[in-house]
Parts: sequence; structure tokens; C-alpha cells
Amino acid sequence: MSNQNSIGEIVSKPYKYGFVTDIETEKFSKGINEEVIRLISEKKKEPKFLLDFRLRAYKQWSKMNEPNWAELGYPKINYQDIIYYAAPKKSEKKSSLDEVDPKLLETFEKLGIPLSEQKRLSNVAVDAVFDSVSIATTYQEKLAEHGVIFCSISEAVIKYPDLIEKYLGSVVPINDNFFAALNSAVFSDGSFVFIPKGIECPMELSSYFRINSGDTGQFERTLIVAEEASSVSYLEGCTAPMFDTNTLHAAVVELITLDDASIKYSTVQNWYSGNEEGIGGIYNFVTKRGHCRGKRSKISWSQVETGSAITWKYPSCILQGKESIGEFYSVALTNNYQKADTGTKMIHIGENTRSTIVSKGISAGRSSNSYRGLVQMGPNSKGSKNYSQCDSMLIGDQASANTYPYIRSQQPQSSIEHEASTCRISEEQLFYLQSRGIGFEEAVSMMVSGFCRDVFNELPMEFAAEADKLLALKLEGSVG
Amino acid sequence: MLNSNEWLTSLPDPKGKLKEVQVRGRKSLPNIDSPSKKNEIWRLTNLDRLKAIFDLPIAFKGSESEENRAEYWPDSPEPVFRISLDPNEDSIESIKLPEGIRLLNNNEIEQILGHVVNRCECNNNWLVTINKASSYHLLALKIQGRSIPPLEIIMPSYRGRLSSTRVLIILEENTELDLLQVFLGTNNSAHSNITEIHLDQEAKLNHGVIADGDGSSSLMGQILVEQKTRSEYYLTNVLKGLFLGRLEPYVVQSDGKAKTSLRGLQISNKLEQIGTYSNIRFDGPEGDLDQLQKAVATDSSHCVFNGQIIVPRHAQRTNASQLSRNLLLSSRARIDTKPELAIVADDVRCTHGATVSQLQDEELFYMRSRGISIKESMQMLLKGYCEDVLSSLPLKAKRWFEIDQLITSSKEST
Repeated sequence: MSNQNSIGEIVSKPYKYGFVTDIETEKFSKGINEEVIRLISEKKKEPKFLLDFRLRAYKQWSKMNEPNWAELGYPKINYQDIIYYAAPKKSEKKSSLDEVDPKLLETFEKLGIPLSEQKRLSNVAVDAVFDSVSIATTYQEKLAEHGVIFCSISEAVIKYPDLIEKYLGSVVPINDNFFAALNSAVFSDGSFVFIPKGIECPMELSSYFRINSGDTGQFERTLIVAEEASSVSYLEGCTAPMFDTNTLHAAVVELITLDDASIKYSTVQNWYSGNEEGIGGIYNFVTKRGHCRGKRSKISWSQVETGSAITWKYPSCILQGKESIGEFYSVALTNNYQKADTGTKMIHIGENTRSTIVSKGISAGRSSNSYRGLVQMGPNSKGSKNYSQCDSMLIGDQASANTYPYIRSQQPQSSIEHEASTCRISEEQLFYLQSRGIGFEEAVSMMVSGFCRDVFNELPMEFAAEADKLLALKLEGSVG
Repeated sequence: MLNSNEWLTSLPDPKGKLKEVQVRGRKSLPNIDSPSKKNEIWRLTNLDRLKAIFDLPIAFKGSESEENRAEYWPDSPEPVFRISLDPNEDSIESIKLPEGIRLLNNNEIEQILGHVVNRCECNNNWLVTINKASSYHLLALKIQGRSIPPLEIIMPSYRGRLSSTRVLIILEENTELDLLQVFLGTNNSAHSNITEIHLDQEAKLNHGVIADGDGSSSLMGQILVEQKTRSEYYLTNVLKGLFLGRLEPYVVQSDGKAKTSLRGLQISNKLEQIGTYSNIRFDGPEGDLDQLQKAVATDSSHCVFNGQIIVPRHAQRTNASQLSRNLLLSSRARIDTKPELAIVADDVRCTHGATVSQLQDEELFYMRSRGISIKESMQMLLKGYCEDVLSSLPLKAKRWFEIDQLITSSKEST
């Protein structure tokens, strides 16, 4: 069918962010051992508790086995062949952006994240992370006026050690899983956000992660704490250059909400996904978890996952506070040889808690796209409700779409509803649009965008448009 | 977990029609991973109970079966033909079968037995291998024709013993059959059973399976089905009263274009654990599946459902729907359900849904506002809920259990 063929041709636009910044970097030698961990800690002038935290994690990690239940089928990773710390030289945090290496500013500008004063995105504060370190955080002063702390986690460790000691590792314990333990041992940078009681964060916060070195793993750590009756919206973006080797990215994100607080966490993940033959690309093994500790608190995850060779990611909510709310909105697009195993966990502990899951998976090429999610009603979750919807769209007959919802209930006075469907871009719909003078590519992209509408509606404005464009771009040449 | 070598030495020597199968099963068992909590398909199973089943001696000729004497069984309505797979019966060969049904001869058994196990890719299934190693009793039937009398196969149980049995049914082209298989269970008895079914083109089987235990008995059963084109397979199963119950229906539509319908009801009381693990694979285009799985969990019981649907690349235009509906009626009970879809073909319609809740307040209110007592309303709602599955059982199967009693006991425990 001609339509079929041309759909197939739409997906393979070159990766726009695949350039490498030629910048002098300071790297540790390859491998991981206690010495490396001590060195990272020393480099960052960390207090003793954090070094202990890292060493405990390393000890745990050395005893753990790499998980294989997701059947992602990637070659064994040699953890001694990875550089655990890389930073642009002269990387001490700059007091003003003027001191930052112009090459770095240029890099972020190229990525569409202008950091310099004149060009900044209005009303979005950005923390830019390049390999292992944070380069710059914008609008810090303005946020400080409201009592909001937004800085890199290394800075927070020095400035607010009490907060870090109290919250770090409290949602994702060091021995939670293999990759979280690794991250806890070697995490280099990331963002820290603290919203004090009663404050609605005056602007969107955002972090941008960039991997530049080919042999360096990125292990960032994000911690967001929203005190009573506060709220914040946080965006995260990621890109990496094109290398024909695989790079490991193992991040941990922890969110904590107290009474009546809310956090909205949005991600547009566009790591390099490897070439058409599936060579190269990022292994994205991420642990993201939110803990609704307070009554009526809320955590909302929204994500658009288009990049990475392999994605292994389950942003979760622990709904402990009474009447707390968890949400998960996801679009995952896989093409060529990409593999995505993503979903969420909603653990209902408190009474009258509610959760909503909307997951849209699009698989094209020879990729495999799985939704894996857990909904659990604990014995005390009286009156709790969950609704999940997982839809998959298949493009071409060589891509696979899998759904693995795990549902467990121990509370009769709760209800769980799960729905899933699979479809494809139908000939009739295409014909309908084309016969009204809409070009083939546009028609496909309209349909895909319509399919994902429920999720895009949940993204912050700037992101929604970007995600839509990104999807159209990624799909180019794939439909068929 | 189960020490397979120890268990193998406890078995009687290989003998009988299935001697070769026993030898092969015993040889391959040590090479198959024993069930462990780390294995996804065993994660939710109570392994201590599983082990206890295999500590039971194998039921043999002369095993005590007083509770199973045929006079206690409900009469079968005309023209149902009843076969009891009983090691105390001297030989199945002496039964005079109705026209259109015949026993397979040794040659045929050698050729055909295990074929469907292969097709369903169950050769490395631990329970299948356990059965191969231990089953001495085989009922192998070939059936042809359109006016075959309905068939009832009774699997009696033996006090404190494990009955390991095997059934093979071949439905020839254009054949239609109503079949009811009843697993009885009393006094710490257990069943291990493989039922292999081959449906040739345009054959149609309406298959009912009832496992009716007393709360102390157990069942480990595989129903393995291969369907040729334009065949129709309807399975309705009811599992209740099982200390540990595990039914694994596997269906393969080997060339597609067939119709499969699975309806299951599991009712667990007290400390029972009952699970259904289904696996449907479409090896050809235009297959059709309609699956409804229901569960009622009361007291401190546990119901599990794991439903896999596999749609490979060549299974275009498959139409599959799966629905898992669960009633959780006690705060000590637990429900786990996991529908699984694995799809590669792009031109398919596949949906699945799952719900877990208790009886709806609105529905109860509706009935109570019409003057029906709360007790009665609950009973009616539960009955309606179960009837959805029970109504498709063949051969007036309800004579095997008291549905009202069943519902009353579930309701009282809430």
C-alpha cells in the first residue's frame, strides 16, 4: 500500500542535538571503588554524613545483582569501564554567568536553553547540568525573595546540609534497587528544590541535563520538597550527543509533599536513541518516586519519552497522606531498535487516596514499547480509587506493544479500574483527512497528536508545543 | 522448595501405557527450574502448600475413595455419557462407548500424545513435567460426528492422595461436542491433570470444567488446546473450595481464523488460594478471543489471575478482548490480577480491562429502596455476578454444586 510505505518513510529525521561540545573536561579514570567515591565526595567538599551515605550505598550495590526481569536484552554493562565523574574544567560554581565558559553558554543556547540574562526564557528558572556538574542556575535571587531554594544539589549539600540529611534517600532508600544504589554511591549533581510552607512557587522551575562525554555515566539526583500548602511545577529536559557506544544514565528523583502541598513534575526525555541500526544511544535506567506524606497532598508526573536506546523508568507515587492524589500521564514513543519499559506504581496506603494513570505508547520500526504498572490498595486504603488507561498505537508490523498491569487489592472498600486498548493508524482515517486536502505526513502527525492529547493537555504550555513538535519530528519517516 | 530427586524416588516404578512418558518426565524434571518466588509465574503462589501436595502419595488402585462412590454423585441427565477416570476401575477399555467416540490405540497414543503440549510450548512447564513423571491414568478419545452425546468426565479424589491423570481428546473435522469435566476434592486430596485437546477444522467444543473442593483439597491443572481454522472452543470453568487451586488454560490458534471464548469464575473462602493463569497465542491471522474472568474473594482468601495474550507479527486482524472483574468482600482477603498483552501485529483490535471492588452501593441502594432486605440484595447481586459465568456451563452442570449455598457462604463471611 502506498500509504503504508510512505508512513514508513516519515520517522527517520536526524537527531538534532547530536553535536559534541569541544571543551576541556576533567575526568576521573574509569572504574568504581571506594576510593573513587571518596574522591567524588572530596571533590565536592561534602560533609561526612554524605560520604557515609555514599559508602553505605556502594556496599549495598556491590552485593546486588543487575535486574533482568524487564527482558530488555542489552549486552552486559561493564561498570568498571565507565567514568563516574566528568566536569568542564574550571567548573567551580560561578558567581555570575559572565564567568561561565562561553562555549557552554553557546551549547545550551544551541539546545534552546538560553542561560544569559537577555535571552532567558521568561518565567522559567533553569538549572543546567553538563555531564557531572551543574553549570548555572538562573533566577536564584528572585526565587530566594519568596523563600524558595532552587540550586544544584552540590550547592545544597554545602548550604543546607540539614535539609539534605533529612530528606535525601527518604523516598528512594539506598538499597531500593540496583541502579538507585549505584546512583546513591556516585551521584554527581542534580537539582534541589525546597518550597517553604504556604508558598506557591512564582515561576516554573526547570533543569536541563546534557551528557557530553561518550564514556561518562550520568548519575544525577533530584530532590524536591514541598512543605505544607506549597506548590511547584518542575520541568526536566535531556539530550546527549551521538556516540556509537552506549552511555549509562542512572538518575534518582525524589519528591516529597507535606499537607496540602502539590508537585507537578514534567519530563521531556530526548536522549540520543542510537542510529537506525540500533547502534549507540543512552541506557536510561531511572528511579523516580514521589511520597505524598501529607493530607490532601498531590504529586503529578507527566512525561514524554522519545529518546534513549533503552528506557527503564517507573515514576511512582506513595499515597500515604489521607485524601492524597497521585497522577501519571505518559507518552512513550519508540522507533528503530529502541526499547522502552515504562509505567508507574501507585501505592495506596492512606484512606480516600486517588490515583489516575494515562499511558500512551507508540511503537514504530522494530522497537518494543511496554507499559508496566502496579496499582496496590493496602489494607488501610479505605475509600481509595484508581483509574488507569493504557493505549498503544502500532506503526508497522515489526514493532511490539506490551502491557503488563499488576493489580493488587487488600481493601474491599476501594476500587480499581483498568482499561487498555491497541490500535493503529487506520486507512479510513487517513483517507478521510487526505481527501480533505491534508498532506499525508500532516495527517499522520495530527492523528498521533490526537492520540496523545490526554497527556499533552497535562504538560505545561511551553512543553506541550515542544512535545508535539518533537513527536512529529521523531515520527518522520517511520510511519508505514 | 521441592526436592525433585527425593520426590522422584518416592514414585512407583514406571509402568502401564504411559511408561515411556513417565521415564522421559522423570529424566527432564531435574533440569527444570523448581518454582520459586523469584519466578514471576510463581511469585504469588503459596509454595508451602504446593510442596505439601507433592508430599502426598500417588493415588493407585486400591486407594481409599469412599467419599467418591458414584452413588453420591448427581445423576446425569439423558443422553449424557459418563466416564470416571478412576484407578479402581479395572480398565477404561472395557467401557462401551457411544457411536462416534472411540479410544485411541497404543500406536495413535504414541504419535499424538504430547503434540498439543508442544504446540502450547509447555514442555518446560514445571507442573506439566511433574504430571508426565507421575501420571498412570490416561483417557484418550477420538471423536467424530455431529450428533455425539454429551460427555461427562469425572475425576474422583482420594483421601490424602495425589491423583495424577491425563486426558487427550481429539475432535475431528466438523465434530461438535459438549463436554463437562468435574474434579472432585475431599479430605486433603489433590489433582494433577493435563487435558490435551485438539480441535480440527470447523470442530466445535463446549467445554465445562468444575473443580469442587471441600477447602482442604487442591488442584494443579493444565488445559492445553490447539485450534485449527474455523474451529470454535468455549471454555467455562468454575473453581471453588480449593486450599491451593491453579488452573492453566493454554490455547493456541495454530492457523488463526478460529474462535475462542474463555469464561472463568473463582470463588475463594477461608484460607483458600485460587489462581487462573491463562495463555492465548495467535499463530495465524483473523483469530477471535473473548475472555471474561471473575473472582470473588472472602474471609482470608486470595484470588489470582494472570492472563497472557500473545499476538505475533503474522496474526493480523486479530480481535481479542479480555476482562478481569473481581469482587473483594473481606478486608483480610486479597486479589491480584495481571492481564498481559504482547502485540507485534499492527492491524489488530486488542483490549483488556480489569476492575477490583466490592458490591456497588448504588445497586444495593436501588434494591433496598424497593423493599428488599440488605441480606437478600447482596445475595441477589452476588448471584447475578456469578450467573454471568455459570450460565454458559454445558450439561446442566449446576447439579454438581448448590449455587445458592455457595453464595450464602460467601456472603456470610463478609
